[in-house]
Amino acid sequence: MVKKKKDELEITTVSGPTLIEATDYESDLRANLEEIKKYDGVVGYILRNTTSASIDLKEPAKIIDYAMLSSTAFDATEEVSDVFELGDIKSIIVNGKNVKMLSLTVEQNKISIFMQDNADTEKILQKLNGS
Amino acid sequence: MDNEVYTFALKNTLDEIQKICPDIKNAFVLTKNRELIARDEDTPEEAITRAVSAFEEMLEKAQAIGGVEDVMIEGNNGRLNVSQLGEIYLVTVTSKQADLDYVNTVTHVVVPTVLRLLEKFSPSPLSKNPPTPDVEPEEPSVQRVEEPVTEKHEEQLEPKEKSDTVLPKSEMILPETPVNQLIVEDLKGLLAPSDTIRIDSSIIQEWNDLYEDRTIEEADVETFGGKSTRCKIKPIKESKLDGQGKIQIPNKVQLTLDVKKGELVRVKPVVE
Repeated sequence: MVKKKKDELEITTVSGPTLIEATDYESDLRANLEEIKKYDGVVGYILRNTTSASIDLKEPAKIIDYAMLSSTAFDATEEVSDVFELGDIKSIIVNGKNVKMLSLTVEQNKISIFMQDNADTEKILQKLNGS
Repeated sequence: MDNEVYTFALKNTLDEIQKICPDIKNAFVLTKNRELIARDEDTPEEAITRAVSAFEEMLEKAQAIGGVEDVMIEGNNGRLNVSQLGEIYLVTVTSKQADLDYVNTVTHVVVPTVLRLLEKFSPSPLSKNPPTPDVEPEEPSVQRVEEPVTEKHEEQLEPKEKSDTVLPKSEMILPETPVNQLIVEDLKGLLAPSDTIRIDSSIIQEWNDLYEDRTIEEADVETFGGKSTRCKIKPIKESKLDGQGKIQIPNKVQLTLDVKKGELVRVKPVVE
């Protein structure tokens, strides 16, 4: 299903209107995030792009704190990548004592997934990179 | 054993690790207060300052997830790892091809082993005042004591001052001047005096504890470029900056020192 969508995306990139591409792509991404949210240990996600942001966390009280952490992680990584010539960033993993954060940029979308230690980071990465 | 030994031992450890793992391009060690303890030869201090400054806010915000234990950033050209090993953060930058398991095995075994050995020799490691490799070690005074001496001791020392190898009385009886590395923050405000810097209240308290019979009112601020100035000191007012290894410096003093926000400076108390 995902693969099929991806194929469609590639076709529309050539001939279709950009807005439709983005919508298709984003809805695909959101669907994947909804699926990821059901994975063991995942406590929620933050999705930001140039026009909108959506946050889905099991603990609403943490929304602001997590959003701030996500945002500062992307900013810090940009600077650090520049200093140490890491190139384009593929992923950021911040292991906290209580929760782990996985952040990555997919197209124009900045995604942060929050999870417990037992969550399968690789599985989540594969799912998102396949979006 | 003092922090110079720690710096020396850890720097050599990092250099040796790089020989074993050539895929490690950069490595450095920080305290939990983000003070630099040691770095490998290939990593300029400026790069570390920029990296520490960039991470500063993220590490603060990471309190939301219980504080940071490890960070891994993967880029197209390489990876950066921040690992908490006891009381320190070990930061390594590896090439894209690096065997991470091998690198982690080496670093997570060698560095803690060296730290344990150092701790065995010294019960008070990694204080807040580590000297940097670039810094000329201060000249050791002829006689140093562990704690400030009482008047009675001073009297006993007086006859020695008359001998050939005499130092001024104050130098003989005072503990070694601590040197703190702090990150520059702007100090703004209409009422902010231009000759006063603000630093962590805990550092001022430490200085006062160290020289308990004196009040520390001024400090010397030195840059790694060699410029220095003397300022009055006051504790940081803003709670979010206090305890973060920061120093608030007025714009005028920043210009004098040729430093700006995010850069590291060394600060030591003026004991007179």
